[in-house]
Amino acid sequence: MIGNVGAVFLFEWKRSLTLPRMAWWLVLAGFPVFIVGLIRFGVDSAHPNAETDRAPRELWIGFLFALIPMLISMLGTMLWVTPAISAELERRSWVYLTVRPNGGVAVLLGKYMAAVTWVIPPALIGLLAGIILCRVSNGWQIWWALATMVCLSTPAYAAIYLFLGTVMPRRGMVLAVGYSLLFELVIGFVPALINKLTVHHHLQALLLLWCEMDIPPEFMQGAVALMGNTPEWEHLAFLLMYPPVLLTAAVAVLRASEFSSSAESDV
Amino acid sequence: MIELQNVTKLYGKVIGVNDFTLTLGPGAYGLLGPNGSGKSTLLNLITGQLRPTLGTVRVMGESPRNNAQLFRRLGYCPGSEGLYASVSAFEWVQYLQQLQGMTRAAAAAAARTSLELVGMTSAMDRPISTYSRGMRQRTKLAQAIAHNPDFLILDEPFSGLDPVGRHELTSVLLDWIGLGKSLLFASHVLHEIESITQSFLLICGGRLLASGTAEDVHRMMVGLPNDVALRCSDPHRLAALMLQEHVVDSARVVGETVTVSTRQPARLYDQMPAWVKASGIEVWEMHSADESLQALFNSLMKMHRGEQ
Repeated sequence: MIGNVGAVFLFEWKRSLTLPRMAWWLVLAGFPVFIVGLIRFGVDSAHPNAETDRAPRELWIGFLFALIPMLISMLGTMLWVTPAISAELERRSWVYLTVRPNGGVAVLLGKYMAAVTWVIPPALIGLLAGIILCRVSNGWQIWWALATMVCLSTPAYAAIYLFLGTVMPRRGMVLAVGYSLLFELVIGFVPALINKLTVHHHLQALLLLWCEMDIPPEFMQGAVALMGNTPEWEHLAFLLMYPPVLLTAAVAVLRASEFSSSAESDV
Repeated sequence: MIELQNVTKLYGKVIGVNDFTLTLGPGAYGLLGPNGSGKSTLLNLITGQLRPTLGTVRVMGESPRNNAQLFRRLGYCPGSEGLYASVSAFEWVQYLQQLQGMTRAAAAAAARTSLELVGMTSAMDRPISTYSRGMRQRTKLAQAIAHNPDFLILDEPFSGLDPVGRHELTSVLLDWIGLGKSLLFASHVLHEIESITQSFLLICGGRLLASGTAEDVHRMMVGLPNDVALRCSDPHRLAALMLQEHVVDSARVVGETVTVSTRQPARLYDQMPAWVKASGIEVWEMHSADESLQALFNSLMKMHRGEQ
């Protein structure tokens, strides 16, 4: 079984070494750099003679957080992992894979691993370039904190999207976009128990705990109301639990489902 | 080898397979049925892609759903294309053999051997997108036989092959059967199956209508109308001639083509050269559609419904 997953992982990686995919890889790495660069340019242009950075450190960290452990991890994994099954069904290659011993499961897990390992490097490179452009104090400490978040958020988001793509392969992308907008971007900000189910909530909490930001007391009160006083280990445990729980669920759904493209079933 | 007990598969309100009961021992079998008859649904049930709505499916004594052990002994060549355009046949077959549980080196060796067996050695390193339909068909077959399964299931394997390709594939499959391996081969063309095996299963409307040898099928077809189309210089006169001789039941002329329906095809084929020579009509093309088979299915369906 491990060998099968490894075979899918290597095959998917090899297939990803095409010009369009490499271009997409560069877009993932370059997008946050481009945005941060634009802001840097705007700030520097507005205050050409300023001796200190006129944009507060917290603003830069907030941008980097929103762009990299959140947006790049979400977008990169969503586009790769959500159509894991539907792409094979549309190509009508699914049947060739699933008549192999544990073939379907190997495809699911192999594609998951390929996606995670494919998304993390551009995110880390983009983060490094972003930190250099931001010129924030304790840059390495911020890089290290946000890089750890990337390594936590990418597997978690990939697991969520893989699960959604398995539950509803034909409408997986719609479901994934809906989930991202509703849960991660709206409910993640709702101070209620349900926000603990979002990756966003735990990442935000870790951001506050790890990045030593100078937040005004009135904002800090709001943040505490949103985050609660949950200890660090609990946030880490939640984020680390997403992949095993959701991958197990996806495998269970896969084994119970009947995936057969209409062309293969002439009835 | 295969045991189906009262298997029914419903797609919502549409019946894919209807109360199918069948027991097959080891050997080679042809699954014959028109397009839309339920062949692919049946094969999807046998390969565990689908779960029966009612009844049970056993293959080599085991349920095929999510059965890793069974899949090691099963080779399946689906009717759909489903190949990755950007990879080569070698890479694709090797990948699928790795999924079969082989090491990378063993999978490479198995891929090379099977591609050689289907005559794809010279083209196996080219991207699949550059292949002809026949080459893709051979590649599909290679992935099904590379792990040397005990039981091979093929869905319309001759589709898209030219006569040379058909002949070569027939040889490969006959060699396969000669090794004592089992084969289930679905097609809607009688002579394709006939070239491989003498054991037939006739399926139509999701039901098993009949089973037997090729001779049994031909015996059933005796007396059923057989359509023959002829393109000639004077279709009206040729039609009149054949009707006058009471060889055909009906004739229809469209342009240069006369299509006749006959219950005596042997007599028609026997006497045609003499009529053509005597009348001076030039016949440019003669084509016998396999309509007799469709007529057989229609007739069997009526019998099945108790209408005959």
